[in-house]
Formats: sequence, C-alpha cells, structure tokens
Amino acid sequence: MSTLDAAMSASASALRAERTRIEVAVSNMANAESTRGANGQPYRRRDVVLASEPVDSFDSILGQAGAVGVKVSAIVEDPSPFKRRYDPAHPDADAGGFVAVPNVDVPEQMVDMMSASRAYQANLSAIGLIRDMIHRAMELGK
Amino acid sequence: MAVQFDSAPALLAPQGAAVTPSASGGAASGFAAALAHMLQSVDTSAGAANSAVADMVEGTGDVHDAMIALQRAESTLQLTLAMRNKLMQAYQDIMRMPV
Repeated sequence: MSTLDAAMSASASALRAERTRIEVAVSNMANAESTRGANGQPYRRRDVVLASEPVDSFDSILGQAGAVGVKVSAIVEDPSPFKRRYDPAHPDADAGGFVAVPNVDVPEQMVDMMSASRAYQANLSAIGLIRDMIHRAMELGK
Repeated sequence: MAVQFDSAPALLAPQGAAVTPSASGGAASGFAAALAHMLQSVDTSAGAANSAVADMVEGTGDVHDAMIALQRAESTLQLTLAMRNKLMQAYQDIMRMPV
C-alpha cells in the first residue's frame, strides 16, 4: 500500500524472529535436564542466527529500500561439551558415575528470554507508532 | 469460529456499475479507475486479514500476524472511505452551485 506499509512489514518480520528466539530459549530451558535425546545423546543448547532481509516493496525493487526486515537464517546447536555431574544412581551414568547433562545454562536462557521479550515489545510499539502515523495522515482529509 | 468479511466490491457493485457508465462513456475516468483500484485493494487486504485470522484460530498463524493483517485492512478501508467522502463532498458542492 505505502512505504509505511514496508516499515510495518519490517517490524512484523522482527516479531516473528523474536518469537522464534523465545521458542528456542524456552526449549533450552525445558530440556536443561534432558539426558536422552532422539539420537541417544543429551540435549544440546540451540541458538538462533538472525539475518537481515529486505522486505518486498516498490522501493526494494528500485534498490532504495529504507525498510529492511529480519529473518531466522538458521537454528544451530552449541557444540560446547556437555556438563558432567557426579550421580552414580542415575540410569544414564557412565562407568565412573558421571552423567553428561545438557550444556544449557538456565540463568543465561532467562536473560535471553527477557531480551527477546523486550525486543518483541519494542517492535510492537514501532508498529503502533506506524499505525498512528497512517491515521494522523488520513486526518488531513477531514 | 469463522470471521467473514463481505467482499467490498460485491457490496458496492450496484454503485460502481452506476458510476462507470456516466464517466465519459466507455473508458472509466481516472477517478473511477482509482476508486475501483482502491476497492480492489480493500478486498485484497480484507481477504488477507480473513486468512490470517483463520490461520491464527487453527493454530498455524501468529497472533501478531492476524492483528497486523486486520490493521492493514482497516487502514485501507479508511483510506478508501476518506477518498469516497471527498468525492461525494465535491459532487455535492458542485450540485449546490447556483446557476
């Protein structure tokens, strides 16, 4: 519709990206104690990789896009080693009595979630602002 | 729950049909064409809002996507209404002109 619409699309793509960040942080937290995954290994912490992407608009076709959105380019696993905890009674304990637990740091995930949630709110505010601008502009006709 | 929007051009078809012939015979005038285009975009955005809400209700879509699509539909409709109001006002101003 308009160039403000492209700005709104950029914010909307950011909302999707932040939602994915929250989803991944939540699954990391949920699996902080999962010692068995689909491959028999403990759960590995996952991370979201975000990449910028121009939104579809007339300006972007002309190569003059002001609004650049964001997309989730990949969800990668953290290759860092598993934490080892001494718990001989655990069914997944090795011969030495150590259990490999996921390389998830719960406080770190909390901080990630807070940052994603704040970023989501910031983008919601941006959309509200764009909507107000469109409505104010239409009031010119009254 | 099914949210249904009536197709805007279908609602306005009788008026549109009445406007077009009066506008310079065969080819639609610039303003009539612009209004028809606006109505088309209202219909498109309403359709997009409709499917976004349906997706959200089914659980495949995001809440924000549905709300943004609804917001877009509303903005497009209001812009079209503003244009229509301006046209009607101009028409009435001309009709009230003393001859």
